[in-house]
Amino acid sequence: MAATVQLVEKNGAGGTQTDKTSGNIRFKNADNSTVDTSNPMVKPGAGVDYSFEKWLRMNVSGGTYTEITNVKVYMDGANGLGTGVTLYAKAVTAYATPAEATATAGYADAFTYTSGSPLTLGAGPYTSTGEKADHCVMMLTVGTTASGGITPSEVLTLSWDEI
Amino acid sequence: MPVHEITTDAEGNHVGTDGDITVSLVGGRMFKRRVIKGVGTEGAQEVCWLVCELDGVRVYQSGRNVIVSRADINP
Repeated sequence: MAATVQLVEKNGAGGTQTDKTSGNIRFKNADNSTVDTSNPMVKPGAGVDYSFEKWLRMNVSGGTYTEITNVKVYMDGANGLGTGVTLYAKAVTAYATPAEATATAGYADAFTYTSGSPLTLGAGPYTSTGEKADHCVMMLTVGTTASGGITPSEVLTLSWDEI
Repeated sequence: MPVHEITTDAEGNHVGTDGDITVSLVGGRMFKRRVIKGVGTEGAQEVCWLVCELDGVRVYQSGRNVIVSRADINP
């Protein structure tokens, strides 16, 4: 048997979970998991427009396993979101209500986290069901050189060791 | 892609299988390295590698592909 693992997006003060394992994550100017065109990012006249944070976390929803260790996430290393659009990521232990980011301090460019240099979320060991390891907090900025419209999609990889 | 099954006998030796190929490890450590690729898209898919580690050398097995390395490799 094996663990049944999801990646969940958490929203609101209570951290309401939405399974995003195979669902799109839409960066926007609001704290919700809905994939729509409401509250869009705005191309600014100067500076950058910051999205609200996306709080993502590994969730073991079932299955049978002994322990999980070495939880990591990474990207493909190439920003395909387009000119002027930058995606950032960091690991955070304790959940906080997602807010609109105001700076990039504490974050790194998400595309610097690759299979050879992933973002570590927790060594573990973790057992049983429920949320495991740190949150992966992501946010996106749109600069003055960005084009209008919906950006191409990018993908995240969630990795863990299991026995 | 199937998730490997790992069993350990009374002597601590490990056997891992994906239902097609079986890998046996005498001593050392065996675990599954699992990933979900494409998280955040409708094309998300799971990948499972079987990892055997003995004296700092790792054997990564996925289907009919095998990598032997001292490096920590992710799918």
